[in-house]
Amino acid sequence: MNWVGFSTLIKREVGRFFSVYRQTVLPGLITSSLYIAIFGFTLEQRIAEIQGVPYTLFILPGLIMMNTLTNATANTSSSMLQMKLLQQLPDLLTAPLSGLEIALAYIIGGTVRGMVNGILVLILGVVLIKMPVYDLFGTIVFIFLVSWAFSSMGLLLGQLSESWDQLAMMQNFFLTPLSFLGGIFYSIYMLPDWAQTLSLINPIYYMINGIRYTTLGVSDSPVFISYTMALILTLCFTFASIYLMTTGKRIKQ
Amino acid sequence: MNEPAIEINGLKKSYHDVEALKGVNIEISKGEFFGLLGPNGAGKTTTINILTGLVFKDNGITKVFGKDTVKDFRFTRSKIGIAAQEFSVDWFFPIEKLLFYQAGYYGIKKASAEPTVNSLLDRLGLSKKRNARLRQLSGGMKRRFQLAKALVHDPDIIILDEPTAGVDVELRRDLWQYLRDLHNAGKTILLTTHYIEEAELLCDRVAIIDEGKILKEGDPKILTQELGSAGITINIAENKSELKSLFQDFKFTYEDKRIHFSVKNPDKALPKIIDILSNANIHIKSIKSNKSSLEDVFLDLTGKKIS
Repeated sequence: MNWVGFSTLIKREVGRFFSVYRQTVLPGLITSSLYIAIFGFTLEQRIAEIQGVPYTLFILPGLIMMNTLTNATANTSSSMLQMKLLQQLPDLLTAPLSGLEIALAYIIGGTVRGMVNGILVLILGVVLIKMPVYDLFGTIVFIFLVSWAFSSMGLLLGQLSESWDQLAMMQNFFLTPLSFLGGIFYSIYMLPDWAQTLSLINPIYYMINGIRYTTLGVSDSPVFISYTMALILTLCFTFASIYLMTTGKRIKQ
Repeated sequence: MNEPAIEINGLKKSYHDVEALKGVNIEISKGEFFGLLGPNGAGKTTTINILTGLVFKDNGITKVFGKDTVKDFRFTRSKIGIAAQEFSVDWFFPIEKLLFYQAGYYGIKKASAEPTVNSLLDRLGLSKKRNARLRQLSGGMKRRFQLAKALVHDPDIIILDEPTAGVDVELRRDLWQYLRDLHNAGKTILLTTHYIEEAELLCDRVAIIDEGKILKEGDPKILTQELGSAGITINIAENKSELKSLFQDFKFTYEDKRIHFSVKNPDKALPKIIDILSNANIHIKSIKSNKSSLEDVFLDLTGKKIS
């Protein structure tokens, strides 16, 4: 194991997103504040409570999860694609680093970004609307798991994509709709039966409900299933992204 | 280590239905300055990219100091520093930091890398730009940065893919001098180029590659003597008709008191020609000799110009 090389790449990946924090950290906080202000405070007058929780509080775990997973995905996918398109990848591929080391360093970089963004929105919720945190340890574990899973997914997408257009398509047509349809702003019991059934095949539904349980103590699905789904996603995306990196099929000729 | 620094045997590579390498064999000794000479698309970059792990090979053996470049990739890659032909672009970090990162990938911590980074920035005239981003550098500076990146982990083997492509004459000469210094310091250098002058001036040995095959390999001076055709042009005082019988063993053309000889080895041929003309009492007005070059060798071997 090339520990110095591995930790250097992690530092580079983390340093990369912190160096442009106005693009990578602040927007999540601003949009979350706007969601709280616009959706929360305006709709709270019409939807008083869901599962005994005030509406503004109810949407916050979903916002934490959306920030976590979109940032984790964006970090690895954009960094990998950028490296491919801007000829930076050869610097890594000609260095004495294994595919496993490169993949793990990328995943850790994306996980850090996902966690930073998720935890900042959590703090925003605690400070701004006095959100209670039912199980802090469970919440952090959940943010970590989801960050890791979606960071791995981003690495997979970054390797598979050949252009920004392809990457944007995957994010805009799959990730964002699945996030919104995962129950950020509603409980699935407010939906018709067919839509409830459909929601059950959306993995992000389990992520949102998992963190809703660890923070507010309420959830549409049993927390055990949410943890299991998060673990399954984490393992699947981690193995897939590492496999693709170690074989080099999409990054070497 | 008595193993060759680089050993390539029967290297084959195809991109879809295009055969880029058709069984390339190259052996480079430790401390040698070796040139891989060929036109664009000849297979130079593919060869070095396979050696450094950027491209998969279809077949063949690639070794660095006796170790397989795939099985023992950590060892082989740590021995090689590569300056790629194409510039990489980084929007995020200043060039000094990029050099520290590059050293880190090779297992060198920042504190240990610091003296090397400073001396490289100094030697390559980039000290004042250490806090600049890559996009703020000129083309020549980017080329120098590529070289700094290749050298930051003090590799035994330096691979330079067209290192002076697109740089002005002054910088080219400066880079050549630096490469000579590195060679004198014991580094093994593999240079790919399509600049004839570069290969002739710097290399101990060259291999001429075209269409994925090594056509000829050897000392550039010996190759040019053995294979290159040089021209000797002699102007004589009066028109003579007996030249054909005098120069039966030579390839020459004659027109209006001007004889042009095409010879393999002008150093050997010229005294002989002068002797024959003197013995025939033919008065020589002027002699002009065009030296043979690797370009002539390439022309002889492939029937086409190198660039």
